[in-house]
Amino acid sequence: MPQNEFRLDPWIPIEVAGIDLSINKAVLYLVLAALATCGTMVYIARRMQDKPNRVQTAVEMAYDLASNTITRDNMDSRMANRWFPFIGTLFLFIWFSNMIGYIPLPTNSEHPVAVLGIEIPSFALYAATANFSVPLALTLVVWLSYHYEGIRAKGFVRYFKGWVPSGVSGPVVALVAPIEVISQFLRLASLSARLFANMLAGHLLILIMAGGLAVLLGSTIVGIVTLPVGFAFYVFEVGLVASLQAFIFALLSAIYLGEAVAEEH
Amino acid sequence: MDLLGVITVIAQGGAEGQKALALGLGTAIAAIGPGIGVGYIFGKVIESVTRQPEMRGEIQSIMWLGFALTEAIVFYGLLMSLVAFFIA
Repeated sequence: MPQNEFRLDPWIPIEVAGIDLSINKAVLYLVLAALATCGTMVYIARRMQDKPNRVQTAVEMAYDLASNTITRDNMDSRMANRWFPFIGTLFLFIWFSNMIGYIPLPTNSEHPVAVLGIEIPSFALYAATANFSVPLALTLVVWLSYHYEGIRAKGFVRYFKGWVPSGVSGPVVALVAPIEVISQFLRLASLSARLFANMLAGHLLILIMAGGLAVLLGSTIVGIVTLPVGFAFYVFEVGLVASLQAFIFALLSAIYLGEAVAEEH
Repeated sequence: MDLLGVITVIAQGGAEGQKALALGLGTAIAAIGPGIGVGYIFGKVIESVTRQPEMRGEIQSIMWLGFALTEAIVFYGLLMSLVAFFIA
């Protein structure tokens, strides 16, 4: 049923101290994304050529984007050298994670299909980033590390004093300070929800348009009408949203990191 | 059936109908503001690029940032509507 598209069935149940650590669909997608990120980059780096082919050119463009546009434009060079590996990895990992989410993989264990006598799961779309835990974990790492960098660069008291914009003094500080504290915590919600909700909404739209609505209403003609719309959404998501969200996540992480150590903002 | 009648039926339709209404209306209302905002951003970008075509690259990178930040607001509405639908 279309309602179960995002349900995570435990494939290999593991439970440690009451915490569910089962291997499920999302874990598979995370592992695939991590392998694709490491594999592509190591492979390209090993066989760098003076005359780059198309794949090498594309990877070099992505590297240049992550290195210059995302990292170096938003922080000084000492910080950039320290944090570029993290932000570059973040960008590539989220990009691969989003893109793998649009490749149909045999992961739908609810409806197995018999091929040559062997039952294999039917093909389905799913993305690790369309599960709230994954963007939230990435966001927590970014959030904790920019506070850590800020406190290390400015000292504990000066860093938190720096949250209040310069030029604000007297009783207005009591008014502005709570807003600034709330906005710091809202970054946790906004950074993670932006990535998660974009991917979830994209997958929901494709699911509903490419058959979900027809199944729910039980009408064939609806399916014929909505299938091209589903295809259009698929192209839009693959062509724009997947890359854009990876770019935005990495860019905002870099901006937060740069802002935490910058004097006077 | 007139519109008022439809609304009355939905309102009397118990918790399920009201939750569905919350999901639909919440997302629809949340989409108004970002829709205007995204249109405004692209309009301004067209204006800027026609005035200063040599700034195109720089303007476009700012445009994507602004577009993504604005567009995300509709998803906050969608998320809260989904919370209302599934949890409330």
